[in-house]
Amino acid sequence: MTREEIIIKANNALADEFEKEIETFSPDANLQETLEIDSLDLVDLVVLIEKELGIKTAKDDFANVKTFDDFYDLLYSKQR
Amino acid sequence: MNIALITGGSRGIGRACAIKLAQMGYYVLINYRSNDAEANATLEQVRAAGSDGELLKFDVGNKESVETAIAKWQDNHQGEYISVLVNNAGIRKDNLMMWMTDDEWDNVLGTNLNSFMYVTRACLKDMLVKKYGRIINMASLSGLKGLPGQTNYSAAKGGMIAATKALAQEVARKNVTVNAVAPGFIQTDMTKDLEEAELKKQIPANRFGKPEEVAAVVGFLASKEAAYVNGQCISVNGGLYT
Repeated sequence: MTREEIIIKANNALADEFEKEIETFSPDANLQETLEIDSLDLVDLVVLIEKELGIKTAKDDFANVKTFDDFYDLLYSKQR
Repeated sequence: MNIALITGGSRGIGRACAIKLAQMGYYVLINYRSNDAEANATLEQVRAAGSDGELLKFDVGNKESVETAIAKWQDNHQGEYISVLVNNAGIRKDNLMMWMTDDEWDNVLGTNLNSFMYVTRACLKDMLVKKYGRIINMASLSGLKGLPGQTNYSAAKGGMIAATKALAQEVARKNVTVNAVAPGFIQTDMTKDLEEAELKKQIPANRFGKPEEVAAVVGFLASKEAAYVNGQCISVNGGLYT
């Protein structure tokens, strides 16, 4: 998948799972604050991404993920 | 299908819990370490109770053994998950601390407390994602008041009670409850070497309990009706003050 394809798929999955408007997912927005999730909810995020995008991540991968852009970068790097 | 895993399910309280959950309609995974005959006898009684189940043979105190066995079961049952976990497996190796060996300490902590961590962690992700789960930990009177000759067992069960309270707070908002049951003197293989006639004088009910009386509380905590009971340790001990 291209980075753009990842962004579209990830945003749709996040909007459905966490009941948020995609319009709020700006690249510089804080991921956890926007989705209103904490470290316990990361398990939902990890399972969601594997199920919807086929990309495996782990909790530690999110250590440096602050913004949506960081999140897309992580997914792009993990798919390869 | 509602699925329950009971560790140490081949005999005693574990067997009674397996039968109780079978009566409640659960498909029961019966974990045991070595006694094939007793485990099969439990499975027969689960079937006689109108449900079904299967045997899962692994050592709960061995991390690799736990992770391999549960991952294999999960791989073979895509779309299903263990919604009720009863951490029941336990051993005693009593000794005065003065004479206690490292092995007596390590084995009791490993089988009674580390097992709680290994098995619970392996089952917890599915419960969190599905947003429903019941975890019931078999503690002990020994973990509440401490019993002489059981510093290892008291430490393990006391640790389990504290862990129950901590984990309950971590996962409550995901509709997962974590509670402990603390049996007193119950008629099982684990207590058959105790002087029942002498000990029962201390018990207000004037008798040892039955495994089924512990399983009844486990059944309640496993039920949907117990959704608002969380982080508790419920004694089943005939009225002993703890």
